[in-house]
Amino acid sequence: MTKTIIKTFFLWEYEKEEAWLNEMAGEGWMLIRTGFRKYVFENGTPEEYTYRLELLDKDMHSPESSSYLDFLKETGIEVVGKCSHWVYLRCKTADCKFDPADRPLYNLTHLLKLQEFFSKLHHTFIVVVALCFLGLFILEHLNPIPVVAFFSGFCVGVGFATSVCILIATPYFRRINKKVKAAIKDLYTCS
Amino acid sequence: MTNPEENIVLTEAVFYTLLALHKPLHGYGIMQETKAMSNGRLILSAGTLYGAISSMLDKGWIKALPEEEDSRRKEYVITDIGKQVARSELNRLHELAENGDRIINNSIIQ
Repeated sequence: MTKTIIKTFFLWEYEKEEAWLNEMAGEGWMLIRTGFRKYVFENGTPEEYTYRLELLDKDMHSPESSSYLDFLKETGIEVVGKCSHWVYLRCKTADCKFDPADRPLYNLTHLLKLQEFFSKLHHTFIVVVALCFLGLFILEHLNPIPVVAFFSGFCVGVGFATSVCILIATPYFRRINKKVKAAIKDLYTCS
Repeated sequence: MTNPEENIVLTEAVFYTLLALHKPLHGYGIMQETKAMSNGRLILSAGTLYGAISSMLDKGWIKALPEEEDSRRKEYVITDIGKQVARSELNRLHELAENGDRIINNSIIQ
């Protein structure tokens, strides 16, 4: 018997997502396939499998990632699904190759990757706003023909929208940075 | 090339992997060997081991053996540099154990 659940997790909620998948496995529902926001579960023995999410450096089909995934397969870890660079892994709980002791390092690795992504996004936003201002400045000095007016309006619109995006995203940037700091502290005290 | 004389502190995973690779083994074999050597205490996770193997390949402490035709599994073995690194780590561990013995065991007696 299978059942499909539609559920949304944000990029930075991978821990929550993983905890949910393991909770489902605890109740006897094993994830067997994933799609966009879609999770397909199969009925099985409760806690038969343990699940883990991992963020790959490169696309799943790149030589680096396939060599890593091949290595995992060799040790009894299955890939049940993927979403962009994230892969959903599982292994038999009785002979599990996901060690809780390496959790701090795992967390830090993933948070750093997320931080890199967010900082790229942040920089892109800032560059867009700067370009809009520069555009406006240049357009101000041209004759006010309709085309110029249109582009001025365009620059104001895009600049404003991007600024709003920065304002909305700032708490998330901060949260990721805080999490990275906490993860580094965690690393010092791990076994 | 890494100079083995440098004071490198190895992680447990790296040290045990170097020990296990004194004979050629594939990834899963390293996990089993490590578990057996530590009497089931140290269970390497796949991610940790993969990270340790790629880092040691880069440093030249271990090398991959040519793959057999019908096998997708890659086997690895320790190199001379790796043996030197393991030896200098062993010396460091001896020093730790000796000092620990001297101070902790003496303080118990007093």
